[in-house]
Amino acid sequence: MGLLSFCLLSLLAIAGVDAAQLSLQSPRFTISSGDASQLRSEPISLKQRPEPLKLAPTDVLKLSFQVVEKDGEKGVQPHQTFLRFFDAVSGEEGIQPVRVSSSGKAKFELNMAKPPGSIPPTTAENPLNVSLLLGSFEHSPARYELFDLFLPASQSAPPHELEHTFHPQPLIHHTFRPEQKVPPRIISAAGAILVLAPWVVLVGFLAHIKPSVPQLLSINIFPFIATLGASEALLFWYWVDLKLGDVLLYGGVLALFTAAAGKKALATKGDLRVGRK
Amino acid sequence: MPASKTPSTSQKSSAAVASTTTKQTQQQVTGTTNAIQTLFKAYNETTSSRLKLVDAFLVFLMLSGISQFLYCILVTNFPFNAFLAGFGSNVGQFVLTASLRAQVNPENRTVFKDVSPERAFADFVLGSIVLHFFVYNFLG
Repeated sequence: MGLLSFCLLSLLAIAGVDAAQLSLQSPRFTISSGDASQLRSEPISLKQRPEPLKLAPTDVLKLSFQVVEKDGEKGVQPHQTFLRFFDAVSGEEGIQPVRVSSSGKAKFELNMAKPPGSIPPTTAENPLNVSLLLGSFEHSPARYELFDLFLPASQSAPPHELEHTFHPQPLIHHTFRPEQKVPPRIISAAGAILVLAPWVVLVGFLAHIKPSVPQLLSINIFPFIATLGASEALLFWYWVDLKLGDVLLYGGVLALFTAAAGKKALATKGDLRVGRK
Repeated sequence: MPASKTPSTSQKSSAAVASTTTKQTQQQVTGTTNAIQTLFKAYNETTSSRLKLVDAFLVFLMLSGISQFLYCILVTNFPFNAFLAGFGSNVGQFVLTASLRAQVNPENRTVFKDVSPERAFADFVLGSIVLHFFVYNFLG
């Protein structure tokens, strides 16, 4: 397989070196006006460019040539034939395919009343460099510089419906709600008293009920109360300073102690309730 | 003279009606007062001090929530997150405490046969700590 590929590549390389050259025979251009009167007609020299061609808005440019092998008179139909219109100033180009007959003869017509869309935008000052590109599987590619062509200046492109969106837009002004204000100090104080008043009611109730907690300080119950207080203190610390990860870590460790102390305290309390102790 | 007797009769009757209405109103007020007093007396005598303690805490939570809500409506809700934290804390704690009360009430023993008062208190404590964690998150 490798040997076969090597042989094929070698043959292709040899064929490329020995490929015949393409040439043009009797290339000619004719410029006629809109009323079919001939304005200019000249053969094209492939060695020296003719005077630049100028087309009026209604003129017609006709181009004719025959593609032949360089060393003979045999007409050749290339696989690809293009006319290239290139604006050296703007750098824009347009490619126009050319139909070539099997005998190698080709005719191209450029009617300025209906210019093809592939022509690049033109100005009255800058000519288009027109060149012919020939491509063939059996021959070496060829490129011929034909002439310079002045075309009527292009009309300005109609504005696109979204064209205005590509211009600087007016500045966006965001409207924010006004900053919330802290109420006057005296109203805040009155509100604080209002919100704290239920504590007075709670203290009054506690004084009236007088709850008794005789086992609060016992060795079995107090650790539970202490760990509960520590949990609330940890949450307060979280509010003041700690990060979430810290409080979850500390809270997880504290939860183990709280659960153990709670189980012991509540078991003791349950035993007391049912009279086992 | 019937013409002169008729007004005095109607005045007497309207006065009698007014007197009757006033008496009925007084009786209603008295009855309501008696009912409240009876209810309060029965509550004092039949409710254990533990349940009274829970009830006191429930009343405190209710008053605290109402006062915070009034402050939010009448004065300002700024900072709103603090209001949410305080009010949410009140509501959440009220729900947890009411649940505790329902479970430790001896009259509900038949409903919560499998839940001991200690277990109910453990649930209350755990729920309260989780609630307070979220409340401190909201405080900002």
